[in-house]
Amino acid sequence: MRLRTIGYFLRETGRGLTGSGWMSLASVTTVALALFVLAFFSVLSLNINQAAGAINRQVEVRVFFKPTTTHAAEMTFVTQVRHWPGVRRVNYFTKAQALNQLRAQFPHDQALFQLIKQGNPLYDGFDLYSHKAGQIPDLARRLRSTPIVQEALDQNLVIQRLQALTTVMTDAGYVIEIMLALATLFIISNTIRLGVFARRREIQVMKLVGATDWLIRWPFLLEGVVLGLVGAGLADVAVSFGYHWVGVQAAKSLSFFPLAPTATVEHSTELPTLVGGVAMGLVGSLWAVRRFLRA
Amino acid sequence: MIRLEKVTKRYPNGHVAVDQATLTIHRGEFVFLVGPSGAGKSTLARLLYHDEVATTGEVYVDQFRLRRLRRRQVPHLRRQLGVVFQDVKLLNERTVYQNVQFALEVVGASTHDMRQRVPELLDLVGLANRHRSLPAQLSGGEQQRVGIARALANRPKYLIADEPTGNLDPETARGIVQLLAEINRRGATVIMATHAKDIVNQMQRRVVALEGGRIVRDEARGVYGYEA
Repeated sequence: MRLRTIGYFLRETGRGLTGSGWMSLASVTTVALALFVLAFFSVLSLNINQAAGAINRQVEVRVFFKPTTTHAAEMTFVTQVRHWPGVRRVNYFTKAQALNQLRAQFPHDQALFQLIKQGNPLYDGFDLYSHKAGQIPDLARRLRSTPIVQEALDQNLVIQRLQALTTVMTDAGYVIEIMLALATLFIISNTIRLGVFARRREIQVMKLVGATDWLIRWPFLLEGVVLGLVGAGLADVAVSFGYHWVGVQAAKSLSFFPLAPTATVEHSTELPTLVGGVAMGLVGSLWAVRRFLRA
Repeated sequence: MIRLEKVTKRYPNGHVAVDQATLTIHRGEFVFLVGPSGAGKSTLARLLYHDEVATTGEVYVDQFRLRRLRRRQVPHLRRQLGVVFQDVKLLNERTVYQNVQFALEVVGASTHDMRQRVPELLDLVGLANRHRSLPAQLSGGEQQRVGIARALANRPKYLIADEPTGNLDPETARGIVQLLAEINRRGATVIMATHAKDIVNQMQRRVVALEGGRIVRDEARGVYGYEA
């Protein structure tokens, strides 16, 4: 391709973008909105998966003793549990140890410190690890039927619920995303079609003097790509700033729920939004010029 | 050479615009297509530059078989042809120079070629001193001259003019036809659909007459033959 031809494409693309100012703005806004929603669901899913992973890495069953249980009774029971079939490891902790662990985990949480000052609300207990994941529900059931056990939390169940939640939200995200993508395609296509209509005589002359379809098509495709890219850029900026703000707020009030770092989120959303923006721009503009060029 | 073999053009509504037309036009000829309104002159012209495709029969333009022409071959066909319209179809926001240059630019001509060719063409059509004017600042005849210069930009072998003098006064129309005759003298084949009785009678060139889509007369040195 000649440099002169590239210059022609860029000039014509610029003319198209400036020629349909408000429609271009509408296109960029809808692309940005659609991609922001895509990124939102992606970030949500990322964080739920991270939380599930964090729980999974910690323990399999967490057991709490009733507050009335004596230390001797607790130790006897722990010794018995260590010999139950399927049990791989048991880590006993006192409520004081649990409190220290909590302090170490959330050193800046003022609300937590206020609560702790009034007395230790935690329980003695132990973390249990099994040989096989399939044995956990039975072990949890057996533990719950023991009179001195206050609660036995099957963490796998929590993870399964989180994963089910992720699936539901991802599916809902896809449905919303498809609807938004269609609306975006429609608006981009109409923006480009307005440009095509405004330049119909020019295109007619081009066809009559022997310009190829691609020479006619390229400036409109580039226009679509630019609209898509600018929209994607805006969505990325919104996600980045928005997530940073959410992160700051969450650190203050939801410190027990560690969010994925901003850099990880940016890394995971940038490429899909840019690709999505370019794809929507390309498809929208191809759609707009297809019928016109066929005529 | 242009050749039509039993060409019929039937529109989806059933109207037959060209009916079993057979015609051969050799290189270097000047041919008038005449006939009453609706006779099929414009449709026949449009078949030649593939703006319409024959329903049956075959149209040949040099090596191109137009009914079987692939989409990507159409630009190559059109670079062999120059087309002039009654309504000229100039780009109003571009100057005379830019209108002619545009035809070269979109087929990938080099800057050097454009700088050489555009002034040549404007000189040929007598508008060298109006190159900075916008179409709106030109008379009808001048606009048509720009249209002709643009049609000639890619050195076409054939110039197809569909009623090029339709909107012009007789004096201006004569000037346009003289220009087309000059272009023909320089080697291009000219096919002109027209209602201009006086011009056809005065020029004494080949006349192909159409009525109801059929070719009813083909004379080497013909006359208009209808009441204008």
